Amino acid sequence: MNVVGYKKILQLGLFVGLASLFCFGSSQALGKTVAIGVFAYQGERASTSDWTPLINYLNQVLPEHSFRLENHDAESLRRSLADQRIDLVITNPGHYITLEAEFGLSRIATLESLGVSAAKALGSVVLVRGDRMDLKVLSDLAGKRVAAVSPEGFGGYLLAAKELLHSGVDPESDLKEILFIGLPMNKIVEAVQQGKVDAGIVRACVPEQMVREGQLKPADIRVLSPRQENQFPCALSTPLYPNWPIAVTKQTDPVLAKRVAHALLSMPLAADGIGWTVPADYQPVHDLYRELRIGPYAYLREITPEGLVRRFWPWLLGALFALVAWIVHTIRVEQLVHRRTAQLRDSFNAREQAELGMRESQEQMEHLSRLSVLGELSGNLAHELNQPLTTIGTYARTVLRRQDRGNLTPEAISEACTQIASEAERAGGIVQRIRHFAKKRAAVREPVDLAHMAHEARHLVVGMMAHPPEVQITNRLSEHCRVLADSPQIQQVLLNLIKNAIDAGRTLAPQRQGIQIIVEAIDNWAHLQVIDQGCGLEPPQLAHLFEPFFTTKTDGLGLGLPICKTIIEAHGGRLWATPNAEGPGMCFTFSLPCHDLPA
Amino acid sequence: MTYQPEDCLVHVVDDDAGLRRSLRFLLDSVGWSVRLYASAEEFLDLVAPQTQPSCLLLDIRMPAMSGLELQQVLRERGLNLPILFMTGHADVSMVVQAMKSGARDFIEKPFKDQLLLDAVAAAIRLSAETLEETQRRETALRALAALSPREKEAARLIARGQPNKLIAASLGISEKTVHIHRQHIMGKAAISSAAELAGLMLRADPTALD
Repeated sequence: MNVVGYKKILQLGLFVGLASLFCFGSSQALGKTVAIGVFAYQGERASTSDWTPLINYLNQVLPEHSFRLENHDAESLRRSLADQRIDLVITNPGHYITLEAEFGLSRIATLESLGVSAAKALGSVVLVRGDRMDLKVLSDLAGKRVAAVSPEGFGGYLLAAKELLHSGVDPESDLKEILFIGLPMNKIVEAVQQGKVDAGIVRACVPEQMVREGQLKPADIRVLSPRQENQFPCALSTPLYPNWPIAVTKQTDPVLAKRVAHALLSMPLAADGIGWTVPADYQPVHDLYRELRIGPYAYLREITPEGLVRRFWPWLLGALFALVAWIVHTIRVEQLVHRRTAQLRDSFNAREQAELGMRESQEQMEHLSRLSVLGELSGNLAHELNQPLTTIGTYARTVLRRQDRGNLTPEAISEACTQIASEAERAGGIVQRIRHFAKKRAAVREPVDLAHMAHEARHLVVGMMAHPPEVQITNRLSEHCRVLADSPQIQQVLLNLIKNAIDAGRTLAPQRQGIQIIVEAIDNWAHLQVIDQGCGLEPPQLAHLFEPFFTTKTDGLGLGLPICKTIIEAHGGRLWATPNAEGPGMCFTFSLPCHDLPA
Repeated sequence: MTYQPEDCLVHVVDDDAGLRRSLRFLLDSVGWSVRLYASAEEFLDLVAPQTQPSCLLLDIRMPAMSGLELQQVLRERGLNLPILFMTGHADVSMVVQAMKSGARDFIEKPFKDQLLLDAVAAAIRLSAETLEETQRRETALRALAALSPREKEAARLIARGQPNKLIAASLGISEKTVHIHRQHIMGKAAISSAAELAGLMLRADPTALD
């Protein structure tokens, strides 16, 4: 009886709860203002004048809702999405796929303009001055100065960046300089005309518009690697990409989404030929971002365990496959030999082998996920923390001691406080470095002093060893070669190379244990060499040195050098190994591009 | 003989500037004189034979010359300075090696201030004793240096308490000559009895009367 009564109450409660939830949901859909967040890349005024007709149209067609325009820059648009303050988003294709990955947006329509396919509407054009006969195609831009809108500009940079990359010119490292001079794009065309830069990247149709407005004569400029697209009225240096989408968020009421989509698709073309059509395929934009390793694909640049697993998974799979194949092979051979006499034992063995193999591969996977030099380093850094903490403790207790003894002078107080403050700062700096390592973060590029980093790495490695060998550091780098890098990552490479070099000589006579580090500049590249006098490597070993899971050490995992190589290449440099030119042993060299000091 | 704390000198060798300064602050609070060195090499350049009670607080782990190597060099140079090693992470093999080579004590970082001060005080006390011992021996050696070879021979026999007659016989001289030697010895060494002479000779050389 009691139980039945309880159940009924529960059912009733459930019903009331559901009903109120439903009512709340639908009333929200009907009554609330619908905020449309727009990426206002040309500023609020331009954006408001562009989009107000659309808002007016929606308010007129769907009077039960009240639509409101919200102008945003990239960052505030992201914040608004995170706080669920907007229901619909209109932005450029590149920005859209980034937000799509982050917030689960889905497009309901794509912008269309008269006579141009929505799927092929946006492109870039790379311009040079009409008299620059030395520049004809994109690959001629290596070592030149190029102007663009901004690192995030879709038509104003990224589209052309991909084509440059395709033609063998990495815009991040192979250009002499890339200048981001912002909007309006006319400024870029003017910079080309005045010869301030060798070439400029602007959205397609910008030059044609300037010609129409009389700001430019067609002979003033020329298009690099020109190409034609069906029905597209402007000159191009890149393929065409889909137009801007309008998208709904995960929280947007589906009923509302459907109504808006319907309204947009049935919207008559405006006077300027602008309208909406069914959502286009944004896969080309995804391909572009993956190739440039930005937006949702930025992880391809980061050296995190997760990123490495994502990049090296074919290798992991391959290794697992080889292991399984080996086990299968072993089992088969065993069976052939012992088939008649020990079938029972064979199957037992086979099972045991399989289990062993599985356990081994499991251990390797676990090891891999645990593996990061970060762990080792942060341990050492924590050890470094001891020093300032000891010092702070000593000062504080000594002040008390002096007070007890009556020799606490004002000078002593001020010395103790100054030193406590400075040691606390130092400890803070160390913690900062640990967090720096541990944080998943965007790649940083800041000026680094390679020789100084080599000294630091030596200090770390030598400090961990009871009988460290001699590590000699020679710095021949001139002040004019400035290296931009992510210092924790380069430090990781240095630690790996130094540790390998020390390991190479460990079992040899003391005079062959010493290693040498040379920093120098060769042809606008900073080179850092780590030279040991160990046994060296055979040509077949050299060939596989940088492949994952190749190791010459009994306890090595074979991931150190591939990780180093990935790091250095992500910095636009190279890492390679050669036999030591002046004796036995090996020489590992990495190069990083020099950046000129601004005059 | 007792020393004032400020007459006693504590040498601190550590590559960490912050730690060095904090040690001076601590040691200075109880009155010791303190000298700081950033490296073993710097210490070797500046250190002089001790004329006052002193000890050495030495970091075992430093970038160039390590604490253990410095200990070795000091031993080779005959600088008999009590050494207190400081270590950040107890490394058993290092500890064993250092203690075998005569380290006075071992202090683990982060250390307790009182333990450090006690260890320094003990090392200074040891150094003071060694120093006094050395000074007493030098005084005795100076006093005995004035004696002629013949007088030294006589002095050894006198210090053993032998009568003039026996001494004369064993040295093959007259009793009167022994008497004159005895007066000269007492005069030169400024003492008045055979017992004092024995004490002086033992201070100069503990095996003198064997």
